[in-house]
Amino acid sequence: MSEKFDVIVIGGGVVGCAIAWYLAHFDLQILLLEKDLDVCSGVSKANTGIIHSRSYWTPRTLKGELHLRSLPWIEQAEKELDIEFLKTGALTVAFSRSELEFLKTLKRRGKIKGAEILTPQEARTLEPMLSDKIFAAYYDPETRVASPFQLNLALAESAFLNGVRFIFGQEVTGFEKEGNHIRIFTREGEYLSRWVVSSAGLSSSYLAQRSGENIPSLRALRGEYLVLDRECKDLVRHVLYPVPVGETKGILVSPTTDGNILVGPNLEVAEDEDTSTTKEGLKEVEEGGKKLIPFLPVSQTIATFSGLRPTSPDRDFHIFFSSRFPSLLHLVGIESPGLTASFGIAEYTGDLLKERGLKLSEKRDFIFRSSFPVFRKLSWEERKKLIQEDADWGKIVCRCEEVTIAEVKHALLSSPGASTLDGLKRRVRVMMGRCQGGFCGMYLPFLMAETLGLEEREIVKSGKNSFYLGKETKEVRSGAPLY
Amino acid sequence: MVPHSIKGDVVVIGGGPAGMAAALSSWEAGARSVFLLERNEYLGGILPQCIHPGFGLQIWGEELTGPEYAETFIEKLNRTGVEVMTDTTVLELSPERVVKAVNSEGVWELKADSIILSMGCRERTRGMLRIPGHRPAGIFTAGLAQYLVNIAGYLPGEEIVILGSGDIGLIMARRLTLEGARVKMVVEIKNSLSGLVRNYVQCIQDFNIPLLFSHTVTEVRGKERVEAVMISEVDEGGNPLSGSEREVECDTLLLSVGLIPENELSRQAKIPLSPLTGGPWVDEDFSTDLEGFFACGNVVSVFDLVDYVTLVAERAGRAAVFPSSPQKKYILQTGEGVHTVIPQRIREGKDGFLFIRPQKSMRSVTVFLRWEEKIFYEKKISICRPSEMIKLNLSEIPWPQVKGEIKVEIEGTEIRGIS
Repeated sequence: MSEKFDVIVIGGGVVGCAIAWYLAHFDLQILLLEKDLDVCSGVSKANTGIIHSRSYWTPRTLKGELHLRSLPWIEQAEKELDIEFLKTGALTVAFSRSELEFLKTLKRRGKIKGAEILTPQEARTLEPMLSDKIFAAYYDPETRVASPFQLNLALAESAFLNGVRFIFGQEVTGFEKEGNHIRIFTREGEYLSRWVVSSAGLSSSYLAQRSGENIPSLRALRGEYLVLDRECKDLVRHVLYPVPVGETKGILVSPTTDGNILVGPNLEVAEDEDTSTTKEGLKEVEEGGKKLIPFLPVSQTIATFSGLRPTSPDRDFHIFFSSRFPSLLHLVGIESPGLTASFGIAEYTGDLLKERGLKLSEKRDFIFRSSFPVFRKLSWEERKKLIQEDADWGKIVCRCEEVTIAEVKHALLSSPGASTLDGLKRRVRVMMGRCQGGFCGMYLPFLMAETLGLEEREIVKSGKNSFYLGKETKEVRSGAPLY
Repeated sequence: MVPHSIKGDVVVIGGGPAGMAAALSSWEAGARSVFLLERNEYLGGILPQCIHPGFGLQIWGEELTGPEYAETFIEKLNRTGVEVMTDTTVLELSPERVVKAVNSEGVWELKADSIILSMGCRERTRGMLRIPGHRPAGIFTAGLAQYLVNIAGYLPGEEIVILGSGDIGLIMARRLTLEGARVKMVVEIKNSLSGLVRNYVQCIQDFNIPLLFSHTVTEVRGKERVEAVMISEVDEGGNPLSGSEREVECDTLLLSVGLIPENELSRQAKIPLSPLTGGPWVDEDFSTDLEGFFACGNVVSVFDLVDYVTLVAERAGRAAVFPSSPQKKYILQTGEGVHTVIPQRIREGKDGFLFIRPQKSMRSVTVFLRWEEKIFYEKKISICRPSEMIKLNLSEIPWPQVKGEIKVEIEGTEIRGIS
């Protein structure tokens, strides 16, 4: 490909998409390369989605600095991206006098208006299901909850709307200098750009090494989670944190933007970036959750999953220019609170590129994204109106999450659109409810093939070899008509 | 057609075997505005994909396939004035008996004197079992796989392991074998069969498919598509025995591990539900504890034969037209050896059925009914299994004169495996 880009972003996770979206505010030709078939396919697809408050920033670190820098963006992002960051607030729960000290630190560190340390009775008035063994709790009104998928997708869609191009299935293998440009090689092709930002999650240290940096490889620290049925939505209203024992925030219980309850994550070393869940891990998560909410209805579990934290040895973010390629910026070790910090990281990235000479002139015609309606959240009047406009709004394909054919088609045909069943799931929540695709799994692959003009057997779950259907039955192969 | 508000005598939610029989029976009982709402594009629920025979033996003495069984009802419905609305999904149900539904024509609001709940059930999933491992393609519930094969015309894969010996799993073991797939084994965590013995004989034994009792799947392997599962022997409590774990290569894992009554709408309408069955408490007419609401079929509790579903749905359909007094004389409790009893309330006990699901497989079985420690009914049966409900006629039972709680118990000698 001979086309020259001003900036190529490697990685379609929440940070890569935030960077592309931020840079799309300026007059630049931008390309985003993603190794998987969709955005939000790696680290970004499996985390709590919590927008951690100022109480949770880590002083004297880059991660802390970018965390704080990100928070003022939240309200603007809500407007520009048309998404919701649920204002849940949080309770951090101490079980002993010694743990109370940590609550005081949080209060001091956050200086959040309305934040206070509560007695057990006060805490249990806010959260009646909370353990009666608690000693005190820190209430923090600033904590919010985002849908990790919706945020990542909204950033990608907004970037696309403002001219960013996306190419999927592009695993970067190396870099070469070409004048003051960089040529990027992938398994499928090559791309040329003046500036390159590598935001490759778990692969970020590998790519830095490929560009000649002598840095240690990241460690993938895994966290497992339980997702509870929407029927449990009133179980907790706030994000509930324990007092952390190690370097992570601990196993928490959190509401989600869609009414499920999320429990997790634990912390374990994952070999070979393995995203399996384990019996022991899930048990640990259950116990951690029950410490906060003794009557945690684990029998209402609808799904389990695990996510990976790409952690650097010092657990900080590392954002630096390549020593061999002066216009290649590496983002390494972007783990929690990466989602919270994504806006700050994007802005910081823009500043670094600008300092090195990238010209940022603001576009006059930046377009705000407007999100597609979510049938489940509409009033009956709105539903009526939409069905009159398009009958597909009256056809429910996923009844657990009440998703219509209109929404599925939009998710497939929008840009960047879903090209896998998991991509569809993350966009419109089909297969994500209590039946986990037991019902809609009957229709979606076929609706998808038809809408995208694909062969039915080409439909994949996530990776390019994750085929959903096997071969045709004897009856079909013999050419006999079905039923 | 302009979507509108409708007032009806009876609204039936769900057009599977229960809903079809109930709507028909309401019509036959004289109701003249009966609405049957079905979310699928055709009636029949799960029946159209059950292309194997075995339906109808109990009630008609005739062996039909699922589609034939469904067709019998569809034809009968076509000869009535029952208003069938397919492709219509009910989204809201209020205690005041207002149903809100959508279809491609718009939003519908139906208010009825009687509502019959016949939403059926859904399959238990991997997530509910919390089977650890990767999350690749190739894990299907058995019913979904059955749809893919029999309706959509695709195999789920070629090398299959089936977890659970429920009926759909057993039937799919045979179906997939006939299609040329290799069913490597069926593993069952319990020490006895979950499905019907006839399905074991015809679908497993006749095809030499290994069935391992007291075994379970402990891990799924494969990043993109299933590559293998780990299986393990388990102790009495279902816990894997260390050292017994081994890998079984396969590209597909089917789950036939139980069904859950679908009662999200019942909860919206605040209908009291039994924590034991997950479905509404019902009396012998399948009237729930909330006036004007009836429930029949698998939404109440999972029945093992569609014939039984038809029998109870007919009662519900009739009762929805001629509701009787809400006073219940007896409350049935599950006692020793009993997993569930349906119904759990008895109003009169003059006619109707009592379905008892045993906890264990036993031989030389006695079923007891006790009122205040006094046994007032006793029935001997040679064998019982958790997979087969014991069906009694209420009219056989000499009910006590006085109201109260009645305990249902089963005694016998436990048997393991299939014998």
